[in-house]
Amino acid sequence: MTRGGWTFGLAMLVIVLAGFLAPHVLKNPFYFFAGYVILQYVVIATGWNILGGYAGYINFGAAGFFGAGAYASAFLFNAFGIPLWGSLIAACVIGAGLGLLMGYLTLRIQGVYFAIATLGLVIILETIIHNIPALGGARGMVVYGPPPPGWAAGPPQYMFVLMLLIAVASVSLARWMQLSWVGRGLRAVRASEDAAECSGVPTLRLKLLACAVSGAVLAAAGAPYPFYTSFVEPVTAFSLIIGLNAIAMPLIGGTRSWQGPVIGALLLATTQQIATITISSELNILFVGVVLIAFVALAPNGLIGLVRRKGTEARL
Amino acid sequence: MITRRNFNRLAAAAASGLAMPAVLTGRAFGQDKPIRFGASISLTGALAGTKNGQIGYELWRDDVNAAGGLLGRPVELVLLDDQSTASNIPAIYSALVDVEKCDVLFGPYGASLTAPVMPFIKQRDLFMIGMFPLAGNDQAKHDKFFHSAAWGPNSGTDWARGFFDLAKSVGVKKLAILANDLEFSKNAAVGGAKVAEEYGMEIVFNQSYPPNTSDFSTILRNISAANPDAVFIGSYPADSTAIIHSVREIGVPDSVKLFGGAMIGPQYGSLLSSLGPELNGLVNCHLFSPEPTMQSAEIKSFFDRYVPRAEKEGVDPLGFYIPPFYYVAGQLAAAAITGAGSLDQAAMAQWLHANKVDTIVGPATFNEIGDWTTRRVLMVQIQNVEGNDLAQFREAGRQVIIDPPELKSGDLIHPYNKARAG
Repeated sequence: MTRGGWTFGLAMLVIVLAGFLAPHVLKNPFYFFAGYVILQYVVIATGWNILGGYAGYINFGAAGFFGAGAYASAFLFNAFGIPLWGSLIAACVIGAGLGLLMGYLTLRIQGVYFAIATLGLVIILETIIHNIPALGGARGMVVYGPPPPGWAAGPPQYMFVLMLLIAVASVSLARWMQLSWVGRGLRAVRASEDAAECSGVPTLRLKLLACAVSGAVLAAAGAPYPFYTSFVEPVTAFSLIIGLNAIAMPLIGGTRSWQGPVIGALLLATTQQIATITISSELNILFVGVVLIAFVALAPNGLIGLVRRKGTEARL
Repeated sequence: MITRRNFNRLAAAAASGLAMPAVLTGRAFGQDKPIRFGASISLTGALAGTKNGQIGYELWRDDVNAAGGLLGRPVELVLLDDQSTASNIPAIYSALVDVEKCDVLFGPYGASLTAPVMPFIKQRDLFMIGMFPLAGNDQAKHDKFFHSAAWGPNSGTDWARGFFDLAKSVGVKKLAILANDLEFSKNAAVGGAKVAEEYGMEIVFNQSYPPNTSDFSTILRNISAANPDAVFIGSYPADSTAIIHSVREIGVPDSVKLFGGAMIGPQYGSLLSSLGPELNGLVNCHLFSPEPTMQSAEIKSFFDRYVPRAEKEGVDPLGFYIPPFYYVAGQLAAAAITGAGSLDQAAMAQWLHANKVDTIVGPATFNEIGDWTTRRVLMVQIQNVEGNDLAQFREAGRQVIIDPPELKSGDLIHPYNKARAG
């Protein structure tokens, strides 16, 4: 393992330990409710960036994978009593399968046409859920999860730690993909798919792999959602807001590396959480919109791109 | 001789002496702090049409404070925007309780936003007044949850029973059901089908449609082909408008005696004035209508103050459907606090379970899961509408109450085509 790898591993370990210790230091449960939502978006942004950032395939269907993960875990728990960890693994498998299916069906098209096709996935899945009574249809499903394990201070603290572990695993996976042969291949695809193909890069296989991994991570973000809200219904689970945030967060942070979506998600989701309880009016939507426009206009390659550009300028 | 140093010591001692009672009796002083009522409201997002409920809360707060507050303390509202998104609800209610230190909670609007807060209030054992969640406490069965809306007991099935009572009374045998694929209307359709079955009616058409449907001509033709005696519809404002337009263009068979039931939209001023006479004959659910059987000095005073504020803020200028029940939520909480003599959540719930509360929409009593013991959902028939003037809907005789019998203000005109012709 490289020196960077050891540093990264150590940092992740410290973050996990801090997450386990946090409930003993922070007594106010609100931080854990808000922290869960912020970490959920870290996972979503990271999952989206594997296909949208590394390979350059803009995916508007993030909400489809998120909703599929949410419904998979809600159904498995309600119908068979499968605990959250089991549901999480099942959601990842379903998300990966859905990603592969989407890849086979849509990867022949590129650019805006691919984006529209992925948006269609959300609508198809939402319509399917609406028409399956076993999944609650339009009425939704109530999910009263089991009480948290003894080591957790309460339900919000438990959900926070769980989402932190998912976030750490997702970011680690995204970092590995970026630095490995997979990431190099996807970068080649993003730069020029034809040139990559001519150079012997297995473009279709790599794109399918990216679709599957991205789908699995996005579904993993959705799996704990029914246990967090105790309720899941199609309009919220497949909300366009999830898809828009999944794109906006990596754009703010930068799409070329694993750090970008993490920074973007932490910034935007934290801003949204703070705005919800401080501004709390129509103005908070405007505020978030203005922040987004400002980033896109002033830092088109995200914050990381902006920092690197400033560094290059300083050296010159 | 008093030196400057001694004078300063004396002054400090005197100041300490004067301040000491306030320091030692911090509890008594603290009792003058406002009682904080927390709620999430949908200022943005799909449910933003319900934000006029905020005026109901604010009018109630102003009235209570003008009358000296509760337990000698002023009342303060803490309202946070949930953006109509269920995933925001747990964090918002934690913020209201853990950060804003609210003493009493009001629920978010509707069933899908209320469901995420139920485990939270049950786990913390908190008192809450729910805002319009149909059957919102049927699963959680929290003993400190109370509805502000008069859905009545077993509301998941029964809330629109009035429509079927009317249908039975005019001899309906064959029923068509049409519902939007969204939570409220789908619930209405499922409940309606159960009641129809109970009344021995044959369901000859039962279909739901995607939420963004805007053309109902084919669906209406299919309904006509089934030749029903009544058509029960669960719809939201945009599709309610489209359905009414399609009825104008396609028409319905003369066999249809009742048309409507659970259409959301014709309760709001904007839709009433835009559709005007096209709405004549519709039999639809409502919670308040300005008919003589429902009028009182209190509700008149409410609307006298609501209307100018609503016009200024650009929200529903009629406000019959939602705002009075936000005021009622405040009245219920206030009665519980005053009755219990404290902010003890268990004592408040116990008092509200045991006593009747006179609200601006009538007396309220509750069962063990906080439903109004008597269903008081109205079935009104829109009659005598001429032109598109909004003011006519503030007069009696336009939204005539047909059911329940104790509030009836006029007779049902049927069949639907006759009622449509005015």
